[in-house]
Amino acid sequence: MSDRQALEAREKQELGGETTRPGPVFRPDVDILEEAEHFAIYADLPGADDKSIDVRLDRGTLTLDARLASAPEERWTPLHAEYRLGSYHREFRIPEDIDAAGVSARMRNGVLELVLPKSAERRPRSVPVQAA
Amino acid sequence: MDALLSRFGGTAGAGPARDWRGVFPPVNLYESADAYMLTAELPGVEPDAIHVSLEGSTVTLHGERKIDYASREGASVHRRERQEGGFRRSFELPAAIDGDKVEAAHRNGVLMLRLPKSPEAQPRQIEVRAS
Repeated sequence: MSDRQALEAREKQELGGETTRPGPVFRPDVDILEEAEHFAIYADLPGADDKSIDVRLDRGTLTLDARLASAPEERWTPLHAEYRLGSYHREFRIPEDIDAAGVSARMRNGVLELVLPKSAERRPRSVPVQAA
Repeated sequence: MDALLSRFGGTAGAGPARDWRGVFPPVNLYESADAYMLTAELPGVEPDAIHVSLEGSTVTLHGERKIDYASREGASVHRRERQEGGFRRSFELPAAIDGDKVEAAHRNGVLMLRLPKSPEAQPRQIEVRAS
């Protein structure tokens, strides 16, 4: 595995006009993993203010919102733009047996990590086999 | 990994000299009277995995974005939209840069490079006196 794949940027996916927020709203790229005891969601939120992150869990839908930390001051004249600034929004259908109280969120280098623990009944259990 | 030199400024319009679509990381460039500011979206890249160099008025960013799920035993990936890999991009700025005063910050997954123009490249006020 010596050949590294060169990264390609995906253009930010803008959401339709159903929101009331000012400015564009983008759909962040995510990875979703399932491990034995939890699900993990990783969302790319470059430029998002970690204090603005809003995660809600309501009847099997997880809603993620984030706002931009700051835009350059007015004295900075844009010369060239390859990406746009805006907020982020995405919704996920999630299994119902998530332990909602145990959901945790952490931001690191512009990536949100959400850990959604499975409720106790759903976790794999090892059944001890007893010798007769 | 292709090295790509983007030329900023130049003659025609505000657009870049080459098509940048799909090139990582996407960057924005701003100008003030005394400096340029280059910002790059690099979510998930550790600050020490980002290398910035300056040669004349050419800035080069290179590094790698690593996503390691394979080492997590028993994990199954349900959705994979985020990519990993190496990157290298070079940009030629429209004016000379004072290399000793370049500042770099990495916040919220965005690299911000402040590149002061060298004194010769800054606008100067020339006083007009009545003779």
